[in-house]
Amino acid sequence: MNSIKSVFLVAERDLYRFWQSKQWLAGQIAMNLADVFIFALIFGGIVRKDLVPDYFKYVTPGIASLATFVAAFSIGREVGMEVRRDIVDYLLVLPMSRLALVIGRLLGGMLRGLLYQLTFLVLASIILSSPKLEQLPILFMTSILLTSSMSSLAIAVSSISRDFNIQATFRAITYYLLFFFSNVYYPRQVLMLRFPQPIPQIVSVSPISLAADIYRWCFNYYTYIDYTDLAMLALWSSALIVLGLATYLRNLTKR
Amino acid sequence: MTYSSTSLKQNSKSRSRNSVGKMVFTSRSLNQMLLLIQWDLTKIVRRVIFVVMRATWFAVQVTLFGIALSYMISTRNVGLDPQQYYKFYLLGIYTSILFSITASRAYDIAEEFEEGIIEYQLSLPINRKVLAIGRAIGGGIASTIFTLPMFFTVVVLANEFSLTSILLSLSASLLFSVGIAGMVISITLSIKSGDATDILMGALDAILVRLSTIFYPSIVLRNIAPYYYAALVNPVSHLADLLRIFYSFEDFKFFVITNPLAMACYIIGLAVGVSVMTMHIIESKLEGGGWR
Repeated sequence: MNSIKSVFLVAERDLYRFWQSKQWLAGQIAMNLADVFIFALIFGGIVRKDLVPDYFKYVTPGIASLATFVAAFSIGREVGMEVRRDIVDYLLVLPMSRLALVIGRLLGGMLRGLLYQLTFLVLASIILSSPKLEQLPILFMTSILLTSSMSSLAIAVSSISRDFNIQATFRAITYYLLFFFSNVYYPRQVLMLRFPQPIPQIVSVSPISLAADIYRWCFNYYTYIDYTDLAMLALWSSALIVLGLATYLRNLTKR
Repeated sequence: MTYSSTSLKQNSKSRSRNSVGKMVFTSRSLNQMLLLIQWDLTKIVRRVIFVVMRATWFAVQVTLFGIALSYMISTRNVGLDPQQYYKFYLLGIYTSILFSITASRAYDIAEEFEEGIIEYQLSLPINRKVLAIGRAIGGGIASTIFTLPMFFTVVVLANEFSLTSILLSLSASLLFSVGIAGMVISITLSIKSGDATDILMGALDAILVRLSTIFYPSIVLRNIAPYYYAALVNPVSHLADLLRIFYSFEDFKFFVITNPLAMACYIIGLAVGVSVMTMHIIESKLEGGGWR
């Protein structure tokens, strides 16, 4: 019982700190909005309509998917800073188990991702169309799975090194791998036509791509949903949570 | 490089010996500036992981992302066929990489501040104007050298091997990089916070790259006036389009944001103007401490 209380206490602290970083939030929202209202809007004007009929509407749910990564990575930045400045020593002497601390951090990252993503889900429902009642549980489940994956990945990546540059570079590289190896900016058929396997296959099973396709269905851009996408996302989520827990637990005491 | 006691002694000896005489003072300043440039250059050598990761990032951009985008282009709408667009994209993406890597000097400065190296440099017998200009030029040269493999990859992929174009492009890239290095040094030293630097540089990178002619020609941007004017004042647009003109004047002469002479003047003005601003900030506003 105490452990559960500790987990929520840690998550609550992380959520509180999230609200404190207003400048950071503004910067990140600006970045994601720039993708929708600058890149997608301008690039949509030069895209072949036979491949992507409405590029602006195609990209918007993808950005909602990518946004979870950006927000969940804020927890990564903080974990990285704590490792660099030895604040982990303070966290380790708190009267709670290490597992409770680590789970609390993952939960905090997930809640940050959910809150941050909400803006982009509302935006997607305005630009595309609102989800129907039967689509809402799938939408919610997808967001939970995606944000927990991203939060775990962020914590694992940011606690790898004590060096600020390496932390920032690892975060950037992970971001760009998820960014490029996803269907946020180009549909699968473009990749199928232009690239040999397994590239299109890898792109279509990345967590961001899976979630983006589910969101496209939820916001009625696609008329069908492949439920195996949801199952695969659940698999990604489980694997990344285990990775995040194990890495953070190990790096908490590593010197 | 470290500022050894020998170099410090040499500096103070030369200062006492040459306390008067403008020419001699200039030579001492030049020597100090070279030391600062050397400092920035040696930092690259110690960044093997950073170099490998940036190279990977670039490789994915010119292969997967660039090829996919060029395949999606409508020739009728933009006036460029997929091959021409790919070449257009390559020169744009080189500019984007150069910009991002130069902007990442902000992280180096933030780290130096956290480690107390900035305070150490301020305590050295080096004129602050020289310190400012040395760090800006050093950062610019280091970033340009860092991106040389990427630059030559672009030259090979674009199949453009003119020596004049290569020399002109590298000169323009160096000036651009010096300007951006000066800008990020000024920003980082003004805000004095590692976290704020991290956030600000990320946002600046994202917005400046998107609001430029890196991905789309200026004729497409003209459809949305605010974006067009933002791209017009954006240094990233000017370098990207200048490189396109250096390499393929015939292909891109109708697609650049303004005339080539204006773009060249803009790049020179950026390097000079921002360096002066950096000198002003370091000389008048920077004191040790206050890092958050």
